Amino acid sequence: MNRITIDPVTRLEGHGKIEILLDPEGEVQNAYFQIPELRGFERFCVGRLAEDMPNLTDRICGVCPEAHHLAATKALDELFHAEPTPAAKKLRELFYSIFFATDHTTHFYALGGPDFIVGPDAPKAERNILGVIKKVGMDVAGKVLKMRRDGHDLIAKIGGRRVQPNWGLPGGVSRGITDELRQEILARGREAVEFARFSLKAFDDIVLGNPGYVELIKSEGFTHRCYSMGTVDEKGRVNFYDGLIRVVDQDGQEVLKYHPREYLSHIAERVEPWTYLKFPYLKKVGWKGLVDGKDSGVYRATPLSRLNAASGMATPLAQEEYERLYATLGGKPVHHTLATHWARLVELLYATERWVELASDPEVAHPNVRQVPTATPTEGVGCVEAPRGTLTHHYWTDERGVLTKVNLVVGTTNNYAPIALSVKKAAQALIHKGTVVTDGLLDRVEMAFRAYDPCFGCATHALPGQMPLEVTVRAADGVVVERLARGLR
Amino acid sequence: MKTLVLGLGNPLLGDDAVGLRVAASLRGRLPPDVELDEDYCGGLRLMERLAGYEHVVIVDALVTGAHPPGLVLCLRPGEVETQHSGSTHDVSLSDALRLAAALGLPMPRLDLVVIEAGQVLEFDEHLTPAVEAAVPRAARMVLELVAAPPKCAGAAA
Repeated sequence: MNRITIDPVTRLEGHGKIEILLDPEGEVQNAYFQIPELRGFERFCVGRLAEDMPNLTDRICGVCPEAHHLAATKALDELFHAEPTPAAKKLRELFYSIFFATDHTTHFYALGGPDFIVGPDAPKAERNILGVIKKVGMDVAGKVLKMRRDGHDLIAKIGGRRVQPNWGLPGGVSRGITDELRQEILARGREAVEFARFSLKAFDDIVLGNPGYVELIKSEGFTHRCYSMGTVDEKGRVNFYDGLIRVVDQDGQEVLKYHPREYLSHIAERVEPWTYLKFPYLKKVGWKGLVDGKDSGVYRATPLSRLNAASGMATPLAQEEYERLYATLGGKPVHHTLATHWARLVELLYATERWVELASDPEVAHPNVRQVPTATPTEGVGCVEAPRGTLTHHYWTDERGVLTKVNLVVGTTNNYAPIALSVKKAAQALIHKGTVVTDGLLDRVEMAFRAYDPCFGCATHALPGQMPLEVTVRAADGVVVERLARGLR
Repeated sequence: MKTLVLGLGNPLLGDDAVGLRVAASLRGRLPPDVELDEDYCGGLRLMERLAGYEHVVIVDALVTGAHPPGLVLCLRPGEVETQHSGSTHDVSLSDALRLAAALGLPMPRLDLVVIEAGQVLEFDEHLTPAVEAAVPRAARMVLELVAAPPKCAGAAA
């Protein structure tokens, strides 16, 4: 069998690679996205006090520590049987909305956006944040940096620290906010709404105004008909902080709706011999391999799948954009992977509107932000929607609150199987009869997985940490017949 | 001159914590006008963290596989990339610095004191022995840089 290897992460030697396997005729037989994975976190936690988890787990990842912090804190609520006070709940969701808006902004402008704003066919050297700025104007860069600065500043003011918050406690949070800070948060939130609207307008002008881009979004090469997962509120609308998990099928029909604590009844993990990764799938449907369709339990947990799984958005401007997305792309649900970028912007608008809604509520500054737990700890599940997928923390303790078992299902994990599907389809479009691999293959594969905003155990940022690509074409006997590389030293 | 010494790393991830350990070892040993801090970030966030200083010394782990663990190097930006490498959710520091330049944001003179790491994939609160032994050497290099900033080059094995 011929083998093409794309290694995107040289820093983690031997751990991160995309392998595209060809059949004897030179056609793509399968594609595997093998990712670097940090080992032993769950084991590392056993024997520690459960209440340390919000401050331990937010160090797993430097990209979304706020998501881990709140998932851990919610798991402690359940573990210690301590329902957070209404003010604490609102304050947590306000904090989380600010984080979400900041995170989605970064992805759109710095990471995913370059594919569209600069253009999928632009030279690689221009497809970065500098290319984006060149295209949309220098003043936009200032807006992006201000949005990030405001977000990080407010997260630090509420959560106590600039990067990893140290604030969540079972039954609430360690401190509330003053009414003066609430007013500041509200004022910046109103600016954030305008920024989100501006971002959607930019997407409208640059992407939707270009028939070629719309065609690319809707192309079969970037389409998978998987189940869609997301958290919904009591009215079935998207919620990032709390609610029930809803899964809809390829036609938008509900197939599952469950409390996050029941996840083990509905989600199983497939172990494949060729990778140490486990592929989550819907138990009810079953594992049929790395394929999409109704018979395959493969699901997606992304901004787009959250929109698919919900009845709508809980804020008015985001709802308008939600309706426009589905009207433009042919109705609900949408299965076009690249539409995830658009869905992310709809979520950005929702996050900023929710930020304003919550900051407008005086109760968010109420001093009663903690119910002190009194019950014996047992077991708890905490779940939030992380920017890149549903995030679940599950802890078991003894009666002293010492952890005996820990299980985490992180956002990107949910999407392992669909990412592999996307890479395979991207490769299938460009490899036929053993044709020479071109730079276009790298671009297309990168576009496919970047839409998921994947995060692979990014806690470590040791240098050099670039994301080079390496393609090695091997003949059936293992001999390297061609090698393409990008960004390797 | 407004100077910052910034230790970077994950305290739970083996040798990735070495930048934090070097920073901790420098407490009380830096001139009073030099700020000392710890952080976790790369790329854009790191660039934003640097704003407002004239000179910043970053201390971080390096994983090249080309050096023995514990080798201490002093590098300039551009000689090495930095970002959350397991994620697509960041840009490299050099891209972030280019963005700052394009926007006219004043960026400091930047020196990188890096220590080749051994183990950064397994959660562990301890450094490997070779990297542990490098902490005083890296700290000395930082002190020299703070005292005489404009000559960063070479290795301290």
